[in-house]
Amino acid sequence: MSLLQKLDAARDFQDQLGQLGVNAIGATIDVTGSATEGRIEGKRVILAGTNNYLGLTFDPACIEAAAQAVRTHGTGTTGSRLANGTYTGHAALERELSAFLGTQSAIAFTTGYVANVGAISTLAGSGDVIMLDADSHASIYEGAKLSGAEIYRFRHNDPADLDKRLRRLGDRCARTLVIVESLYSMLGDVAPLNQFCEVVKRHGAFLLLDDAHSFGIMGETGRGLAETLGIEDEIDFVTGTFSKSLGSVGGFFASRKYDVAPLRSQIRAYMFTASSTPSVIASTRAALKRVAQGQALRSQLWKNCQRVHEGLTSLGFELGAAPSPVIASLMDSPEQAAAAWQVLLDAGVYVNLVVPPGAPKNLSLLRCSLSAAHTDGQVEQIIEGYAAVAQRLFAQPRAAATAYA
Amino acid sequence: MISYDECVSEIQTLLAQSHAGGSIVPPESDLIDELGLASLDVMELIEALEDRFDVAFPINELGDVRTIADLAQRIQNLT
Repeated sequence: MSLLQKLDAARDFQDQLGQLGVNAIGATIDVTGSATEGRIEGKRVILAGTNNYLGLTFDPACIEAAAQAVRTHGTGTTGSRLANGTYTGHAALERELSAFLGTQSAIAFTTGYVANVGAISTLAGSGDVIMLDADSHASIYEGAKLSGAEIYRFRHNDPADLDKRLRRLGDRCARTLVIVESLYSMLGDVAPLNQFCEVVKRHGAFLLLDDAHSFGIMGETGRGLAETLGIEDEIDFVTGTFSKSLGSVGGFFASRKYDVAPLRSQIRAYMFTASSTPSVIASTRAALKRVAQGQALRSQLWKNCQRVHEGLTSLGFELGAAPSPVIASLMDSPEQAAAAWQVLLDAGVYVNLVVPPGAPKNLSLLRCSLSAAHTDGQVEQIIEGYAAVAQRLFAQPRAAATAYA
Repeated sequence: MISYDECVSEIQTLLAQSHAGGSIVPPESDLIDELGLASLDVMELIEALEDRFDVAFPINELGDVRTIADLAQRIQNLT
């Protein structure tokens, strides 16, 4: 196969998407002044396909911090963290993150993707083993591949399957890094983290938790799923992102058990990329303060999640998981999912269209994500949009789906 | 140790259920180009084989596996 045949294959894939008849992949969104509203192709829509769980992208304190930082420190650092790219703000954010998480140290990265790639590819190396959940994010797969370690998968959210696979490794468990996520971004399902911790500990392996999607929204103070379960001390390493509940961009790597700071000089994805702009760092620091005191935001978010989950269940949609800020409706085919996406857009609701190979198990789905910033009225409009989908696309009115416990 | 033929036969049986419409396909069949498996399908096939033969197959080695015969050879080496 010649080099350029790959371009043909990519074009074929684009054509397949085009045949779905919608412009859902990479839709251009004009966002002005609101965390929950925007315009797509000139049409005003409610944004229900983001990761803006706490709605902090337009938090006044975050905006002011960013604006002040760009005036004071300029638009960019023009260097990597190990060269000229560590400003006082970068160091302060890492201290504040570490204090918030109760970790020995924390390293901030330019994106969450880079945090995973950098942390995983440095923690594990040749002769080591990485055992990852089958539905892991692409950044986890990429980090694992780059590490040079042997990579094994276990069945998604299945501690018994992990147990079986670790048993097969025998003595090599001492050199094994197990990786799970807290809340999975496509179906919105939550990991049985307690059980994973028990299995990993019993085999003498290490556990890295990617907390991208539960950070800020779970736990009394927003420290994520492990805080909810009271098992933060059981987790060896944690990574996360600033681009979900913190409303900016960036990522982190931290540990309660070990001091990860010395790894700065080993992580190539940290050393050889430009550091975050001062405005991003400033808004992230302001958002972190909001998260720590964000019980009201979290309550509002979960109320919205519950309401939409109930609404969609009663309309007959088969949903991917119990209520969470990601509510995935499973559709029969890519074509049906695309048609449903367009009906929703016409009703003024933007969600994410996910078709194979973007979703696990070759599923086609509509990924609705909720925000604390969605008003009661917007929540009802989202449900009305789905009612229009049910009316247009379901041949027979559906009975309420079986609700998750 | 499991025989090569036993590995081939198990792969053929699993593929007959999932991708070959009940037919037994020859060992030289290319999993992706001929049988139309996506990379995720290949990984699920390997998970099933790991359980069947109680072995651990690193997914780093997937790049070298094109055919049923390739896969059977790898699995046999692990038993």
